[in-house]
Amino acid sequence: MTNGWIDIKNTDMMLIMGGNPAENHPCGFKWAIEAKRTRNAKMIVVDPRFTRTAATSDLFLQIRAGADIAFLGGVLRYAIENNRIAKEYLVNYTNAAFIVKEGFKLPEDGLYSGFDGATQTYDRSSWNYEEGNDAGGEAPAHAAAHTAPSAAAAKSAGTTLGAAAVTPTPLPAMPPKVAYDLTLQHPRCVFQLLRQQYSRYTPEMVERITGIPKDQFLKAADLFTSVRKDGDMKKVATIMYAVGWTQHSFGTQIIRTAAILQLLLGNIGRAGGGVNALRGHSNIQGATDMGGIFDIWPGYLKVPNPTDVDLAAYLKRITPTPSKPAPWDSFNYWSNTPKFAVSYLKAMYGDAATKENDFAFDYMPKVDRNYSWTQIWDNMYRGSVKGMFAFGMNGVAIGPDSQKNIEALKKADWLVVGEIYPDETSEFWKSPGITPEEMKTINTTVYRLACAGFAEKDGSMTNSARWLQWKNVAVPPPGECRLDQDIVAQIFLKVRDLYQTQGGKFPDPILNLTWAYTNAQHPALGDLAKELNGKALADLTDPKTQVTIKRGQQLPGFAWLKDDGTTACGNWIYSGCWTEAGNQLSRRGTEDPSGQGIYQNWAWSWPANRRVLYNRASCDPSGKPYDATRKQVWWNESTQLWMGNDVPDFKPDSNPKDHMGPFIMNAEGVGRIFGPLGAFADGPFPEHYEPIESPVQNALHPNQSKNPVVKKLKTAADKYASPGDGFNIICTTYRLTEHYHYWTKNNRMNVQLVPEPFIEIPVELAAELGIKGNDKVKVTSARSYYVAKAFVTKRIKPMMIDGKKIYQIGIPIHQGYRGIQEDAGRDARTILNRLTPTVVDPNAFTPEFKGFLVKVEKA
Amino acid sequence: MSVSHVISSRRTGDETEGRILRYTLSERVHHWLGAFTYCYCLITGLAFWSPYMFWLAALVGGGPTARFWHPWLGLAFTLSMFWMYKMWRRDMLTTDADRRWSRVMKYYVENEDEKLPPVGRFNYGQKLFFWLMFYGVILLLISGIGLWFVESIPWSLRWLRYLAVTVHVVAALATIGGFIIHVYMGTAMVRGGFTSIIRGEVSTVWAKTHHRLWYEQITKGTSAQK
Amino acid sequence: MSQATLGIRRISGHAGPAPGDDVERDYQVCKLIDTTTCIGCKACEVACLEWNGYTFTDTVFDNSYQTMPETAWNYWNLIKFNEHEREDGSITLLMRKDQCMHCADPGCLTACPADGAIVQYTNGIVDFQQQNCIGCGYCVSGCPFDIPKFNPTTKKMFKCTLCVDRVSEGLEPACIKSCPTGCLHFGSKDDMKDLAETRAKQLRDNFGFEKAGVYDPAGVGGTGVIYVLHDVTNPEAYGGLPKDPRIPFLVRFWKGPAKWIGNLAMLGGILGVTLHYLRFGPKQVDAEKRENGGQP
Repeated sequence: MTNGWIDIKNTDMMLIMGGNPAENHPCGFKWAIEAKRTRNAKMIVVDPRFTRTAATSDLFLQIRAGADIAFLGGVLRYAIENNRIAKEYLVNYTNAAFIVKEGFKLPEDGLYSGFDGATQTYDRSSWNYEEGNDAGGEAPAHAAAHTAPSAAAAKSAGTTLGAAAVTPTPLPAMPPKVAYDLTLQHPRCVFQLLRQQYSRYTPEMVERITGIPKDQFLKAADLFTSVRKDGDMKKVATIMYAVGWTQHSFGTQIIRTAAILQLLLGNIGRAGGGVNALRGHSNIQGATDMGGIFDIWPGYLKVPNPTDVDLAAYLKRITPTPSKPAPWDSFNYWSNTPKFAVSYLKAMYGDAATKENDFAFDYMPKVDRNYSWTQIWDNMYRGSVKGMFAFGMNGVAIGPDSQKNIEALKKADWLVVGEIYPDETSEFWKSPGITPEEMKTINTTVYRLACAGFAEKDGSMTNSARWLQWKNVAVPPPGECRLDQDIVAQIFLKVRDLYQTQGGKFPDPILNLTWAYTNAQHPALGDLAKELNGKALADLTDPKTQVTIKRGQQLPGFAWLKDDGTTACGNWIYSGCWTEAGNQLSRRGTEDPSGQGIYQNWAWSWPANRRVLYNRASCDPSGKPYDATRKQVWWNESTQLWMGNDVPDFKPDSNPKDHMGPFIMNAEGVGRIFGPLGAFADGPFPEHYEPIESPVQNALHPNQSKNPVVKKLKTAADKYASPGDGFNIICTTYRLTEHYHYWTKNNRMNVQLVPEPFIEIPVELAAELGIKGNDKVKVTSARSYYVAKAFVTKRIKPMMIDGKKIYQIGIPIHQGYRGIQEDAGRDARTILNRLTPTVVDPNAFTPEFKGFLVKVEKA
Repeated sequence: MSVSHVISSRRTGDETEGRILRYTLSERVHHWLGAFTYCYCLITGLAFWSPYMFWLAALVGGGPTARFWHPWLGLAFTLSMFWMYKMWRRDMLTTDADRRWSRVMKYYVENEDEKLPPVGRFNYGQKLFFWLMFYGVILLLISGIGLWFVESIPWSLRWLRYLAVTVHVVAALATIGGFIIHVYMGTAMVRGGFTSIIRGEVSTVWAKTHHRLWYEQITKGTSAQK
Repeated sequence: MSQATLGIRRISGHAGPAPGDDVERDYQVCKLIDTTTCIGCKACEVACLEWNGYTFTDTVFDNSYQTMPETAWNYWNLIKFNEHEREDGSITLLMRKDQCMHCADPGCLTACPADGAIVQYTNGIVDFQQQNCIGCGYCVSGCPFDIPKFNPTTKKMFKCTLCVDRVSEGLEPACIKSCPTGCLHFGSKDDMKDLAETRAKQLRDNFGFEKAGVYDPAGVGGTGVIYVLHDVTNPEAYGGLPKDPRIPFLVRFWKGPAKWIGNLAMLGGILGVTLHYLRFGPKQVDAEKRENGGQP
C-alpha cells in the first residue's frame, strides 16, 4: 500500500478491482465503510462476480476476468478527453512532460518497438527519454518521481531477469538531462504518447473487451474521475486491489495502469489516495520486504548477477543516477544503495566482511536465471531440483497445475514439510488417483516437522500498511511442535558443523555467517529484529548535529547507514524498528492529533515510521497542502523545513523553490507515467492483452492477442486450452471470508461456516446444462478436473464479449484432500489448482490463476 | 346394529341374581384407560393453560415432566378413544328414538325419567358425549401434533402454528365441558352408573329403568327368569 | 450496583408523586444493525458461538453462503443471504444478521405458560430462563420472527440473550464486539434510533437509496434490535423479515379473551352440575317400586 488501511477513511472515492476486501480483508474494510459513513465517499466495485464487497458498493460493474487494463485504459482516456486531470501535479510531479526518444513505437499492432520474436523479449533501449532541454520554450518548473517499492513494483523495477535463463545485457542509461515540454504539447512527450496510447480505448472498445455495457462504463468513469471535476484538487480517490490483479500474465501492467491513472488524477501521496495493494496474508508484506523472492535482497536491493564481477560493478549497476530536466532537482534516494548493500553484507558476515574482501560480496549467490515459484517446480519436474523445504506453505495446493507439482514431488529425493497440520504437500504421495502399487514406486523421503502456529510464536508481522507490529505468544506450542526459526537454526548449525569437520568446496559463506544470537539453537526473534534494525560498528558522529552513536549501539534509522563497513543493517527499510529506545514494533500509542488516522505512536511503519508514501505530493509545488482539511505535510517557511502530521517523505530541508521531485525513490524524482528502459519487461505503458487461455481474440490487435513476452512452459504436464477445444467458459478463482487458504479445512469452526466446496455458476448457464443448486458439477480444464456442488447464482451474469455470449464461473480455492470433510469422505477431494495453467507474469512471475478456460458438466 | 345386539345379548346372557353385564372387561379397561389419560392431560393441560393453575404441574412432577408426558398420554388417550370408537360406534349411532328422546330431554334433566321414551344401550346424552369426545380427540390429536412439533411447521405455513394452539384450546374446552357433565352424571347423578363402569354389572331394574330397549333386546333371546 | 442504576417508583416523606415518576428511568438497550454496511463476514456468528460456549454442528452446503437455513437452539446469530433483484434488473446481495429482536411486547413471553421461564428486564432484554422452561414450544407460536428454538436433548428453548451476562457487566454483546465494519452498534434505544435515522437519512440524501429507513416495528411495541434497511418498504427481501410483525391474533386471542371465556365456561360447568344436584338430586332406581310397576 502506498497509504494504509486506516488512511482509506480519508478518501472521497474508491475503486475496488481485482480484490474483494469485504471478504478477504474484512478488518481493513472497516475503513472503506468509515469513508462512506463519515465522508459520503462513493465506492465502485469492478469484479467478475457480484461479491460481498459489491454488496456495499454504490456502483458495481461485472467485468470479464482479465480485461482490467482495457477498463482502466478506458478510464484514462475518459479522464484525458474530459480534462479531468490534475494538470499542475501532472506537469510537476510526473514524467508527463518528459520527451521520449525518437524510435519508440506504441503498440498499435500489439508490439512496442524492439521486439525480438525469436527470444520473445524486447530490446528496450528505445524505451528511453531524450537528452536535451526545454523543448516547449517555457520556463521550467521542477519535479521528481518514483514508483513504490511494493512487491510487484520492486520486482519489476529494473530487473532484467526474464523467464528463461538469461545473462542480462546491460541497457543504456537514462540521460542525466532529460528533454521536456511543460506545455505537454510535444508529440513525443509522455503525456501525448499516453493520450495516443489510450485513444484506442474508447467506450465501445471497452465494452467489446470487458463486457461492461458502454453506459455503465461511462457511469463509472464519470463517477471515478468526478474527483477532478474542473481541475479541483480538494477531493481524493483511492484504488484498492489484490491478487485479482496480480494473478494474470499481465498483472504488473494492470497495477501500472492504476498507478498511471492515479498520477493523472494527482491522487498519489495524498491522504485517502494512492494505489493500495491489499496483502492477503498477515505477513506477506514482510515476506517481500525481507527478500522472500529470488531476485531481491532484503529492502528491495537487486540481487547480484554473474556480470557483477565485484562489489563495485554490482553497486554501479544497481545504483541509479539522477535523470531529470536540468532545472529540476532529484533526491534520487537510491543513490544511497551502496550504504544499504554494504551494511547488509556487514550484517550477514560481520568481521569476515572487510573492505579488502569487498565485504564478502563473493559469498553471496549470483542469480543467473529465473528461480521463481513455477520455475522451481518445473525444475523439479524436469529432475534438476532434488529436494525441497516447504515451510508455512502448501506447495501442492498452491499450484498452479497442482498435478504437475505432485508429479514433480514424486521425482524428488526428499521433501521436508514444516506444518501445523498434515497437508496436501506432505501427503502428495497419497493424493487421489495414486494406487497402492504406485505408492510403492514413489521413493521420495518425506520428513514431516510439527511446527508452531501463529499464536504459539512471538515476533512481528508487517501488514498491508507497512506497519511492523509485535505480537506476543498466546499459548505454548503443543507436544513436540517447534518454532520455525528453531528448526532452521538447528539445521543451519548442523550443516555448519559438517562444513567445519568435513570441509567442502566453498565453506566460507557458511562458516563465516554471523550467528550472534543469545541462544544459537533458539534464536530469539527480538535478536533478529535488532539485527534487521542495524547497529554501529564504530563510533559515528553526524557532522551536522554532532550527535554521536557509540560502537555497538542500535541505529536510530537508515540515515545513519555507511558504505565503509562501520554499520551493519539486515534490512535498511526496517532500520528504526528496534533502536536504543527499544522495540518500536510493540508501541501501542493511540494518539492521533490530526484525526487522519496516522497514529504515529502505534507500532512502527517503514520507511522511517512514515504512514503515507510520497506525501510531499499532497502539497502543491509551493509546499501548501492541496486540501487544508487533510494536511499531511507542509513547507514551513520560518523553519525552512518540511514538517507535518506524518513524517515527510522528502528531503527535509529542500525548499520548494528548488523543485525537487516528490517521488524521491525514482531517479527522475517524478512519478513514472512512462516506465523507461528496464522498468518493465512488456512495455513502458500497459496494453491490454488476452489471458493465455481466452475465449476471444484481442479486439485491439487480433494478430497479437497475448502478452508477447509471456512464455508457456513446455513439459508434458503443461497443457493450454483454446476455445476450439471446447473449453469456452471462463473460470476465475477466489477465496472465501469463511476460510483461510488450505488449512482452515482442519478447523471445525470454519468448516461449520462453509462446510463444502462449491462452484458458482450463473443461473443461465445452469439452466442450459440442466444443473440445479447443490448438484455435483465437474469442471474440466486442459490440465485436469475439479468436482464440487453447484452454487447456482444470479450474481454472475452472462456477458457479451465482442459479440459473443460468454459465461464465467467462480471457484473458491479451499478444497483439497486433507481436512475434516475430506477425511470423512464428504467431498470430492479434488484440488482447484489442478485446473490452473502454469504461466506467469513476466515482471513479478505471478501465475495466472484468474481467467482460464474450462468445460462444465453435471458430475 | 344387529351384530352388536347379538353379541351383547349373547354376552349378557349369564345373568345372575338379577344383575346383568352392562360393560365387558375390555370396555371397562378402555374406558378407564381413557379416563386416566384424559385426567392426566386435563391436569397438565390446565397447568399450561393458566398461570393460576400452573401449580397443578407440580402435582405430576413439575412443568418439564408434565410437558414431557402430556403429548404421550394424549396419544394414549387418543388410542383408547379410537378403541372405544371401534367397540361402540354402532351403539352410538343416533336413532329416531334418540331424536324423540332429545325433544323431551328436560324430563331427563329434571329426573322425570318416566315421561321419557325408552332408550337403548346408550341414551342420546351419552351418545352426544361420545361423539364430542371422539371428534374432540381428533382435533386435539391433529393440533397436538402441531404443537408437539411446532418447529417443523414451516414459517410459510406459520398460520398452522397459530391455528394449532387455538384448536387445541377450543377442543380441550369442549371436552372439558362434556367431561364435567359426564363425571357428574356417572358419579353423583345416575346412581349405579359408576359401579357399572367399574364392575361391569347393573341390576335388571337399573337396566329396565334407564335403558329399557337395551334390556328388552338382550333378554329377548334368553328365557327371562321371571 | 449503585443506586443510580435503579429506577425510583416511590419515595418517602414526599408530597405527591415521586419526581420522575412516569418517566422512563431505566434506559432501554438496543442493538443497531446497519444492513447497508454488513459484509456477511460471519464474525458475529463465530463470536456468538464462542461467547456462549457452543460447539459445532454439522452443516450442509445449500446453494448459498448462509451457514444454515435458520437459527438453531445452539446457533442464535445467523446472517441471512439473499440475492435480490432490484427494480432496474440489477442484482444485489442483501445480508441481514438474524437473531432475537427483543420485542418490547414479546410474543414469546405472552405465549409462555411456565412461571418465570421468560423474563423481560427493565432494560428491554428478553431472556429465557432455562431452569424454568418446560419446553412446551408455545414461544415458537408466539414469536413473529421465528426465533425460539428447541433443544431436543435438554427439552428447553433457547435464543439470543442479547448477551445479558455481558450487558449486565457493562459490556457490549459479543456480536457487536466482533463486527469488523462497525455495522453493529449497541447503546440506548434513543441513541440507536438517532444513529439509525441519521444513517438512513444519509442513505437517502447521498447514496440514492430513496426508501432507506429504520426497521423498528411498532406492531410489537418496537424492538431492542433495530435495522437500517436500504429499502424499508420491503423488509421481506432480507430473508423474511416481516413487514408488520405482530403477536399473531390467534395467540393473542388464546392468551387473552379465550382465557376468560374458557375459565368462565369451566367454572360455569362445575357450578351448573352442582346446582343441578342441589335442585334435582340423583336419579335413583327404586328397585322395589319399579318391580311393582308403581309410579314415582
